[in-house]
Amino acid sequence: MDFSLTEEQLMFKEQVIKFARKEIVPRVQEHDLRSEFDFESWRKLGEFGLLGLHFPEELGGGGSDVMTAVVASEALGEAGVDGGLTLSLGAHTYLCADTIFAHGTDEQRKRYIPKLASGEWIGCMGLTEPGAGSDVASLRTRAMRQGDSWVLNGTKMFITNGPIADVAVVYARTGQSAAGQEGISAFIVEKGTPGFAVGRKLVKMGVRTSPTSELIFEDCVIPVENLLGQEGAGFFMAMRTVEWDRSALLAPFVGGLGYIIERCCRYAQERHQFGRPIASFQAIRHKIADVKICQEAARSLIYRIAWCKDQGRPLNHLEAAVAKLFVGDWSLKPMNDAMVLFGGYGYCHEYDVERIFRDSRIAPIGGGTSDIQKVLISRLM
Amino acid sequence: MYFDWTAEELALKQSVAALLTQDAATELGLLDEAELWQLKRITSRYLKALSGLGYLEIALGPAERGQLMRLIAGQEELAKASGSLFLATETTARIFGGLLAGFGDRSRIGDILEAVTHGEVIAGVAVTESEEDAAEPGLTTAGVRDGKEWVVSGRKDYVTNAPIADWIAVVGIAEGRPAAFLVEPPQAGATVGPRMRTLGFNGLAVARLELDSVRVPNDLVIGPFADEAALEYLGAMQDLILALAAVGLQFRTTAEAKRHALTHRRDGKDVFRYQEVRFKLAEMLTWAQTSQLLTFRAAWLYATGDPEARTVIHCAKVFCAEGAEQVTSMGMQVLAGRGYLSGNPVEQAYRDAKLTGIAGTTSERARMAIAGDLLKRYQV
Ligand SMILES: Cc1cc2nc3c(=O)[nH]c(=O)nc-3n(C[C@H](O)[C@H](O)[C@H](O)COP(=O)(O)OP(=O)(O)OC[C@H]3O[C@@H](n4cnc5c(N)ncnc54)[C@H](O)[C@@H]3O)c2cc1C
Repeated sequence: MDFSLTEEQLMFKEQVIKFARKEIVPRVQEHDLRSEFDFESWRKLGEFGLLGLHFPEELGGGGSDVMTAVVASEALGEAGVDGGLTLSLGAHTYLCADTIFAHGTDEQRKRYIPKLASGEWIGCMGLTEPGAGSDVASLRTRAMRQGDSWVLNGTKMFITNGPIADVAVVYARTGQSAAGQEGISAFIVEKGTPGFAVGRKLVKMGVRTSPTSELIFEDCVIPVENLLGQEGAGFFMAMRTVEWDRSALLAPFVGGLGYIIERCCRYAQERHQFGRPIASFQAIRHKIADVKICQEAARSLIYRIAWCKDQGRPLNHLEAAVAKLFVGDWSLKPMNDAMVLFGGYGYCHEYDVERIFRDSRIAPIGGGTSDIQKVLISRLM
Repeated sequence: MYFDWTAEELALKQSVAALLTQDAATELGLLDEAELWQLKRITSRYLKALSGLGYLEIALGPAERGQLMRLIAGQEELAKASGSLFLATETTARIFGGLLAGFGDRSRIGDILEAVTHGEVIAGVAVTESEEDAAEPGLTTAGVRDGKEWVVSGRKDYVTNAPIADWIAVVGIAEGRPAAFLVEPPQAGATVGPRMRTLGFNGLAVARLELDSVRVPNDLVIGPFADEAALEYLGAMQDLILALAAVGLQFRTTAEAKRHALTHRRDGKDVFRYQEVRFKLAEMLTWAQTSQLLTFRAAWLYATGDPEARTVIHCAKVFCAEGAEQVTSMGMQVLAGRGYLSGNPVEQAYRDAKLTGIAGTTSERARMAIAGDLLKRYQV
């Protein structure tokens, strides 16, 4: 076994942290408080190459391996970038663009990947529906073939980047069955397509800079060439994104724990009570230690998923579910304790621990709840 | 990065696993009930068998820590099979043997080390003392030079293997600096107390050691140490070993609980079909896998001399120990009445788990050390 990152990966991580601290982090608080997507930071992420790191260079990507992409996501969290922006990045690059890259035709790749990798276009992925969350195979959005077109009808729910997306990967039922994994297909739908509308924007507890909404399809007609991959293979394609979800999308949470550690250490030395820095109290030190323990425990779990993908190994669904469950559930207490370490200030917007606390609450819900991970683990163990 | 075992690592893993057959498991399960003489016999037999695999000579001392990843592949198998045998073995090889290999430079010490690697001796290292009768914190056990010998007096608590040990390295003060005096009980003046009755790890023999003017020849003294390296080495290895012991308990309990859940029926169905039971098993496996990977990484950092290694070893120690308590508690709940009966593996693991957070660096001290390292790094 060997847990080392390459020199290049370590250097790149440092570069990303430096870039993010300078160009993105100063803008986080303002956008979080206004629950606004930060287009300026998005543009900068694109310029730095972080929106398409693992795509081939000829498609405008960085040609990196999966591990480097995961390390970069971790670096964003470690620098203090908010969970909203990193979630938007995750949904855009990994859930939308990568699905097009992995299953699309040459034409589809050429049309979408360069624009998505640069950030000129924003992508989203619509799988969840009002009535189909954990049981996503029960989705009811329908696509009917009519001549050279597909006609989509249905509603998607909780869609990250929904309100700002230029292009959506949408899953809909094409087969005869009314439920189940069979007969689900994926489609590419562009903004402005008649019959495609963005529903209400959802007001959220955390990840506020990432806009979330419904997507509504009412007799939405798209050309037949917008079918993505094989007809009926949609469920398999959606499940393939799990590899990214359990690595690159979890990585900012792990990096965020590192950010919290630094913030806690500094605050604990600066804040004095009873005539001494609170860092001198054992209970404070134990809280700091717990965040570190959680970070160290989580890190290798997500790296392992990335490593397997780089090796071309099929995803180990058990290990993926363990990683998701761990990051989602085990990080809640240390995050909570970190907020308490800041006392009353921790509860106020002035200090970003409360935002990080709010952002971290999505980890055990989005992309499959902790309960669903337990269902999977117990099935596979 | 490479998240798999290399061929060399795998070879040791498989050979240790092959040693621990079903018959061995039955015998090791009885260790908890064994008398001292039986314990000594069984431990010696396994040490001999392990030496045949080269297991006892790997990664002894800080200079050899590069071999840790190969070792850990085998260690994990032993820890899963029997926590008590694992701790007895590792105390002999990595703690005692590691001290000799890494810091002993006299020829007699080389002979003893050879006996360790050949599985011919059982050994312990005595560090802990009670502070109750000490004027100030620190070791009170001390040696005074008398010609070519040292006269050592003091009292040591909780010495693992002491009742069955051929050799014990006693850490004490020599001319103002720490040193290790090799004592061969029942040597004159060295009294091993009665075997302590303990909550768990009942297949491990632990006792107090009293030293009353024990004469130790100069060539059986390691040190006095010029710096902290020896004690740091002992601390790091002990914590890694205890973390691994905790990982072993977690996997053993999870496997046992799963087996039970699939076979035990209630209200007409096996209890695995109840979501509460299944979810407990899922959590248990998550603890186990995460603990395992964290310990592997901590060992790797140590093996490669990473400056953060000690911090991460502390993290692994706390996490695995607390995981062991959680997992064994959940396991007991899954086995319910059967789990509560004495003598089953989950009840045993439940009792064993507690030690992993107490021995070595306690969870509280480990947390203080982790935070101390971080506060230093982010000093304002
Ligand atoms: C901010 C945000 C962003 C998101 N982004 C996207 C996106 O970009 N694209 C997208 O498609 N989706 C997205 N989602 C949806 C997300 O994946 C779902 O919210 C999630 O899968 C859970 O589904 P649900 O909310 O319908 O909960 P439900 O499935 O209704 O679950 C409710 C509760 O029941 C439990 N439960 C359900 N089934 C079981 C079971 N079998 N056993 C035990 N307990 C069970 C769940 O754990 C949960 O506690 C997003 C969600 C949020 C909040």
